[in-house]
Amino acid sequence: MAEKIIIDTDPGIDDAMAILLALRSPELEVIGLTSVFGNATIEVTTANALRLVELEGNNAIPVAQGCGQPLVLPLGEVGTYVHGEDGLGNTFPPPPKGRPLPLHAAQFILEALRRFPGEVTLLALGPLTNLALAASLDPEAVALARRVVIMGGAAEAHGNISPVAEANIYNDPHAAAIVFRAGWPVTMVGLDVTTRVVMTPDYWDELYRAGNTATDFLRAITPFYQQFHDQFYGMGGATHTHDPTAVAFLLAPELFETHHLPVYVETQGRCMGQTVVDWYGQWKDLPRVDVCLGVDADSVLNLIRERLTKTVEEPGDETTMD
Amino acid sequence: MRRLWIDTDTASDDAVAILMALRWPEVYVEGISIVAGNVPVGLGSRNARYTVELCGAETPVYEGASRPLLREPVWAYFFHGTDGMGEMNYPPPRREPASKHGVLAMVEAFRQFPGEVTLVTLGPLTNLALALRLAPDIVPLIPHVYIMGGAAATLGNITPAAEYNIWIDPEAAKTVFHSGLPITMVGWELCRGEANLNDEDMAALRALRNPLADFVLDCNPQALRANREWLHDPGLPLPDPVAMAVALDPEVVKRASRHYVTVEIASDLTRGMTVVDERGVLNQPPNVRVVWAIHVPRWKEDLFKVLQVA
Repeated sequence: MAEKIIIDTDPGIDDAMAILLALRSPELEVIGLTSVFGNATIEVTTANALRLVELEGNNAIPVAQGCGQPLVLPLGEVGTYVHGEDGLGNTFPPPPKGRPLPLHAAQFILEALRRFPGEVTLLALGPLTNLALAASLDPEAVALARRVVIMGGAAEAHGNISPVAEANIYNDPHAAAIVFRAGWPVTMVGLDVTTRVVMTPDYWDELYRAGNTATDFLRAITPFYQQFHDQFYGMGGATHTHDPTAVAFLLAPELFETHHLPVYVETQGRCMGQTVVDWYGQWKDLPRVDVCLGVDADSVLNLIRERLTKTVEEPGDETTMD
Repeated sequence: MRRLWIDTDTASDDAVAILMALRWPEVYVEGISIVAGNVPVGLGSRNARYTVELCGAETPVYEGASRPLLREPVWAYFFHGTDGMGEMNYPPPRREPASKHGVLAMVEAFRQFPGEVTLVTLGPLTNLALALRLAPDIVPLIPHVYIMGGAAATLGNITPAAEYNIWIDPEAAKTVFHSGLPITMVGWELCRGEANLNDEDMAALRALRNPLADFVLDCNPQALRANREWLHDPGLPLPDPVAMAVALDPEVVKRASRHYVTVEIASDLTRGMTVVDERGVLNQPPNVRVVWAIHVPRWKEDLFKVLQVA
């Protein structure tokens, strides 16, 4: 049976790729998308979440809008310098047809956990505000989650938004601290692995040759992302693979090496957002999370390409439930 | 008629504040939400329902956040007794808590009566912080928030720098203080000294010879003892009722002014300190009305007024 997942996301160029990847994977049953601020403002990320379910005819998948700012801190700079003003590489696609549910993302998550006890995986691709809000509102529901897989953090790798911090954790460190110690099993798919899965210009070209709805969309939005990676890291058209790697972890955990380690999230000061691994157990009472430290990058890239280049049924062929 | 919502970690002085609101003329309490603070949510809920029933009211009591956002809970049994009610071990209330989550119930009340429901918070600000993130649209719907919490003069109780309610969940307090809500902060220091119920006041309360007046004194012996032995104050401190009096009766305020106020969340030493920029050196717009002094006789009159049983 397919694994039920809710994708909590701030699309976002790599979020877009991750969502398309998940929707095209029969191992996963995407029961909803929940939006959060991060790569762009909440209005933008919510519209993009709707666009992405609609792109290949998945209109029946609900989208619930979530938090537009961190739990405790004021809203800082959003990631439009990486993802474009529209979160989609400044391609400004037409508005989505659908609307978000009249229900907050945190409530949507809690209702799903109650409705399918033990079955729902939360895949978080943005700041962890919605998950922290859900866990704070209903700590008992935490035990009903199958697992939480997050794209975020850096154990041994350098940070990206600061020398020590990964952007999703940095954008709401308090939420991350809450989610890490809430009691559900957490897997951190962080920069330790996502920066080692590199999509080269050749890889992108090969993807685009498929010429399907998904790859055409990616072809339009990705150049902005490539430009950022080139300007910031000098990658010459190649990109890191953040959010899609977290989906790949759900699809093929055997491609990853994980360690169950105590992790402290710094919530303040210059090192805010740092995920500090306590390798030798010197700090007491830290929650343990599964930290991805190794990855078979070639196999992950092959998996992503295989899923995104295959032909799927055209929108309209599927029966949609209203 | 004024609509009120009370958010509380109901122990002994909260109970007296609830009683005041329920018995105040021209005020209708829409609901009571419970937050973890002095006591766990289940116990706070029980104490609130007992108080509601003692007043012959039917106000719904909703259970809310069971712990602070990030910090571990620290219960205040030392001040309120193991039952939160001065070891009175009152019988269980007849009614169950309402089934809805306190945060959702509060949000619905604000939306149902836009601009009408004044909020009085008597505990840590966890519920309100969660409500603000779950439903940011409530900010313009709430006419005013009266917060029992903080210590404007930096005189703390749980630590030298911080008052208990803010200290318990400083992150929630920071969220609330910077939410754009119109806030009046009624700090802990306002219930001290002359504002304590002294021996004469307490004798006068007993002389009323009614169950409500007895209740006010019966559930607070631990607080009285702690206040005298530990803080060397003259009598019984009632921080939540003082805040409630400020919310119910504007005449109680003797001196108040608006300032930029923020909450320390980084330091261990000054965690939960309410830093008031009295001289405006930070050049930030004022976000909180700080009450500096109350008319003590008026506050006590207000308390006695609600305890006169016809």
